[in-house]
Amino acid sequence: MAVTVHPAPDRAVFWFGCNLVRHGEVIRASARLLEAVGVAAEPAGGPANCCGATQEASARITEGMGRRTVEGFNARLAGAEHGQVITWCPSCHMNMQDVMAPATPTNFETAHITEVLHARQDRLRTLLVRPVPARVLLHRHLGFQPRVPVNSLVADLLRLIPGLTLVDDPLAVPGHMCSSLSGVPGALAAAQRATLDAVAAGGADTLATIFHSCHRESVALERGCPRLRVANWIHLLAESAGWPAEDGYKAIRNAEDPRAALGEAGMAAAGEAVFERLMEPELRKAPVV
Amino acid sequence: MTGLAARITAEGARLAAACTACGACVTACPMTPFAPGVDAAEPRVAAGGMRALLLGEGGVAAEAVAWIAACTRSAQCNAACPEALDVALMMRFAGMRARGATGEAPRYATRPDPGWSSRVKAFARVTLTEEEQAAWL
Repeated sequence: MAVTVHPAPDRAVFWFGCNLVRHGEVIRASARLLEAVGVAAEPAGGPANCCGATQEASARITEGMGRRTVEGFNARLAGAEHGQVITWCPSCHMNMQDVMAPATPTNFETAHITEVLHARQDRLRTLLVRPVPARVLLHRHLGFQPRVPVNSLVADLLRLIPGLTLVDDPLAVPGHMCSSLSGVPGALAAAQRATLDAVAAGGADTLATIFHSCHRESVALERGCPRLRVANWIHLLAESAGWPAEDGYKAIRNAEDPRAALGEAGMAAAGEAVFERLMEPELRKAPVV
Repeated sequence: MTGLAARITAEGARLAAACTACGACVTACPMTPFAPGVDAAEPRVAAGGMRALLLGEGGVAAEAVAWIAACTRSAQCNAACPEALDVALMMRFAGMRARGATGEAPRYATRPDPGWSSRVKAFARVTLTEEEQAAWL
């Protein structure tokens, strides 16, 4: 599949979306990787930069949220000769192309982070000097791939890591990422079972996720598979570069006691009531298989 | 009707008018096992219902609503369409209309998540420094 090579932007925003905030180390490492290949991109995300996909039951609200975000990016990139918004989230990326940009004119182009890093892989290769001995199954979805070939782009990037072997398996589960499957009864469990079967068949010791919601759903699989490591592709690149990128979400998601794992400072930051009502149910959720 | 609602209605109808409801998109869809009734019906039933919904016609089959509700944007429908239509976008617009986005009565229930924004911000307070929160969010 042809890869779109975007010209180097003179200014860029790394639009990491909303739910990647659970993985602060992935945001930091992604921004650092972009900078290392010559693309300094200011991170932006969270609900104030929402694409509106969470509110699709109301066109008015979806449109308003999308317009606010586009106008914010237009302002950040005003005056740029070649401004670029570099996406992480496939929902955000598709929403920008399908809903946001058609409604609100943009002064930037949109590219996915995998396209940007892949196009500059020669510079990335020089960073990836530490071996990561792992036999990796790449967690792939069918969706988004026709728009941005993330499955092959990430596979190519992981092949740059010395010591890492990719399992050759054709599995690609439905949906564009696991959050879409979680809303359809039975779909996520079926996908996770197929993934674990592919892990076993390929003798993989590592499951590499591409997107955040897949990572969020998959880290809990480690509980039932003690010899399996679940890591995001950014974790693996950072590890090979020798950068700190400890998976903080996995540490609390798989802890016997998420509250204890979060610690006093974490609890104080989250807030007791918010933790109990909004975070703890997610952190204590059993693996979906 | 203005803005996005108007676009969903107009663009959805434009695409639907070119759709022959042959059912190739339904046959290619990996989510039909999770859409009650769809595999048991002729593929054109779900496809025709999706087209009817986008055209604002009555008589949208229950199988079509189930198929639309089970769409997870796998996008296999696009490659299967003999008319080369953006069926994935049609399904997205159909899903928004079926959920009441353009003011029609919802055809299936959605699961609102009123704590979504607060949850995101809470995780951000845990994983990001105050400086990062101020600069990035």
